[in-house]
Amino acid sequence: MTEIADKIEEQKDAEAKVDSFRKNLGPFVIAAEVTRMAMVFTDAREPTHPLVFANDSFLKLTGYDREDVLGRPFNSLIAPGVSPDTLARIQEAFDGTRDVEPEVHYKRKDGSAFWVSVFITKVHDKNGVVVQHFISLVDLTRYMKEQAHSKMLIDELNHRVKNTLATVQSIAAQALRGASNPEMAREAIESRLFALSCSHDLLTRESWEGAGLFDLVTEALKPFAASSELARRLDISGDNIRVSPKTALALGIALHELATNAAKYGAFSNQSGSIAIKWSLGAHSGEQRLILHWQEKGGPPVVPPTRKGFGSRVLIRGLAHELDAKVELDYAAQGLSCTIDVPLPASAPNE
Amino acid sequence: MLILMGIEDMLAELGCENVTAAPSVARALALIEAQKFDVAMLDANLGGETSNAIADALAARQIPFFFATGYRDLGADIGHQNRQVLNKPFQLPDLERSFREALSPGYNERDFGATNGKTAGGVTR
Repeated sequence: MTEIADKIEEQKDAEAKVDSFRKNLGPFVIAAEVTRMAMVFTDAREPTHPLVFANDSFLKLTGYDREDVLGRPFNSLIAPGVSPDTLARIQEAFDGTRDVEPEVHYKRKDGSAFWVSVFITKVHDKNGVVVQHFISLVDLTRYMKEQAHSKMLIDELNHRVKNTLATVQSIAAQALRGASNPEMAREAIESRLFALSCSHDLLTRESWEGAGLFDLVTEALKPFAASSELARRLDISGDNIRVSPKTALALGIALHELATNAAKYGAFSNQSGSIAIKWSLGAHSGEQRLILHWQEKGGPPVVPPTRKGFGSRVLIRGLAHELDAKVELDYAAQGLSCTIDVPLPASAPNE
Repeated sequence: MLILMGIEDMLAELGCENVTAAPSVARALALIEAQKFDVAMLDANLGGETSNAIADALAARQIPFFFATGYRDLGADIGHQNRQVLNKPFQLPDLERSFREALSPGYNERDFGATNGKTAGGVTR
């Protein structure tokens, strides 16, 4: 029975303190009540730091009612979500033994959690005695989210850089293996890096969410159709279908290899040949597919190569693997043709 | 895809025969069902999917394997955290070391769940 009586006495005491607090601070209380910063005052003469004031922002942030919190020890409001270590640092902040601003994993009344930074300042009376603590809580939810997001972006960037370096490594190795002199190797490396860079530009323009196929083909062929005369001999026709970054990069490389071959040996190596590139969408056993057709004509008579070069390997082996594509390369005498048949997932995953 | 071709060339240089590559988890699992492999190298991330299911299938068949990734680490979704991880880009000697390690006697009997199996230089974890 005495215990209950004590509790009632305690509660009355706390209420009296809250009342006197309101009277003494007048306009400051109104300011503290309406500010958007969550803040409380606690009674420094009690070792448990019971709350004597809590503003609306604090109640909104924590989900408590005013009756829930006034007179309650500060730590009992903080404790559910935090480690003993953090509690110790809060104590240090109260004591003023160390200048700390603990970050607290705060549990709301309904159990949901969020991060806050806790600032604790002493309030002295005219004799210099610490009578209260002023505590403000800064919601860190947005900051934490932004931090997690930027970490994710940095990881992703690092991943792409590493993959790009591995691609460059591969381009250099292939070029050095296939080239008969340093000049050829240099040319092969530079033109492929340039093609890769163009595909990156195209994807960056659309935040790496994909690229339009017409834009992609046009960009890939641009270095090979520099003059208006060559541009007239190039016919690109098809819709600007959206393709995934992975598909865009792979097709960009494939188109570059086909164009390089055309410029060296095919329809763009003489004065009269032409290249027609067209594509359409089809369906095969319920799967949407893109069928892209490359046709050269009017070039020098085509002779099938005696050994498989980098270009044909990229098309037949590389593209087939990377995009699960079916690739047909036909060295017909009247002009080389290539058909690329790629599954086109409805929502292509990023890589 | 150029990376894969580069790796294939490296493997040919190391004297590997019959190199098979799979671009997706589904394709890899079908290949594991269909034929017997001596050793496998897994990209930790296959077009948005992790290769964890492939790792499970290989571990169940006692086929030695290791990971390659362009990320700093494997990522929490992969259960085989203590396997070797080869960081991209890598050089021929690194690739050779990883394969030799994976093919060394007792590799499969090692308890990858408990040990922090740091392997030869150039290969982290």
